[in-house]
Amino acid sequence: MPELLLDPNIRFWVFLPIVIITFLVGIVRHYVSLILSSQKKIELIQVQDSQVMIRARLLRENGKYLPRQSFAMRRHWFNNEETGYFKVQKRAAASQNPMTDPGMMTDMLKGNLTNVLPMIVIGGWINWMFSGFLTTKVPFPLTLRFKPMLQRGVELAYLDASWVSSASWYFLNVFGLRTIYALVLGENNAADQSKIMQEQMSGAAMAMPPDPKAAFKAEWEALEITEHKWALANVEADLLQSNTE
Amino acid sequence: MSAVTKFKENKPEPVAYSEAALRNNAVVVEYCRTSMAALSGSTAGVLGLTGLNGFAFYVFAVVMLWIMFLVKVGPHWSKYFITRQSVLTNGFFGALFTYVLFWTFIYGMVHVY
Repeated sequence: MPELLLDPNIRFWVFLPIVIITFLVGIVRHYVSLILSSQKKIELIQVQDSQVMIRARLLRENGKYLPRQSFAMRRHWFNNEETGYFKVQKRAAASQNPMTDPGMMTDMLKGNLTNVLPMIVIGGWINWMFSGFLTTKVPFPLTLRFKPMLQRGVELAYLDASWVSSASWYFLNVFGLRTIYALVLGENNAADQSKIMQEQMSGAAMAMPPDPKAAFKAEWEALEITEHKWALANVEADLLQSNTE
Repeated sequence: MSAVTKFKENKPEPVAYSEAALRNNAVVVEYCRTSMAALSGSTAGVLGLTGLNGFAFYVFAVVMLWIMFLVKVGPHWSKYFITRQSVLTNGFFGALFTYVLFWTFIYGMVHVY
């Protein structure tokens, strides 16, 4: 029996509701973001560009399995000074600011709407509704360092550090239920807000549209300096040798 | 082929892995691990384990799950996983968090009040 007696009503009216609310809010967020998410419309020219880049890269990496003439022919198609694809295609240098793109702005707004807003609203509501309760005790001893983390809203200097306040119990649930969401909703669900936070830190660099002009130039250079070294020069001999063994 | 062609040493056959299949296996293992963490966490909570006993129970559950995987895949484990150890160690701490959450939850429900 623990050294502190808690009212059993706290269990049914604070402790359990926080778990259920956190879980259901995650589920609702997943489906709301599914509704709000707009299909990214893709320009035909972008698909073309990316496919060409993939083809050029494949040629660079696997060109050694082609006869020399075939390799030269393909490279010619990309790199010829007058008619090569990389030389002919003129792409506008992409330098637009994502802030000026209205579609991007809407996406960011929707992201904030489904992720940041519920967190503030629900977190604030939980803080307001269930503040000041000690809800549970973690079943293992903890050092004093954990007191501010686990006992948010309950400042009692002499309380053992393993007691958990209601606000902290909410945060524990927010971060601990992420694997359960993966179980219930499948991978890549939108319920997990800690992943969203990571994305917000690093997302700006990734969301930037790649500049096709620079990419073409880089690929042209890479293809230009690729040396054709036929990998199958000894293939008949190898085959015969492996047969005789 | 000309006579000067040198025969290379016979290399061992390169092993090709299907990326999609590997990822699918990892996802399945992850699902099992999450379920295991939730179930064993609840068990530890109901049993009222505290302190190191609870963590020892987690290690026990992880090892049990690993043994169950090995029994399930049988002698042809190399068809499904690159190494057997990775099935044991991958996601150890991620599942620990789930375990602790369920352990705390059920322990609080049953033993604290």
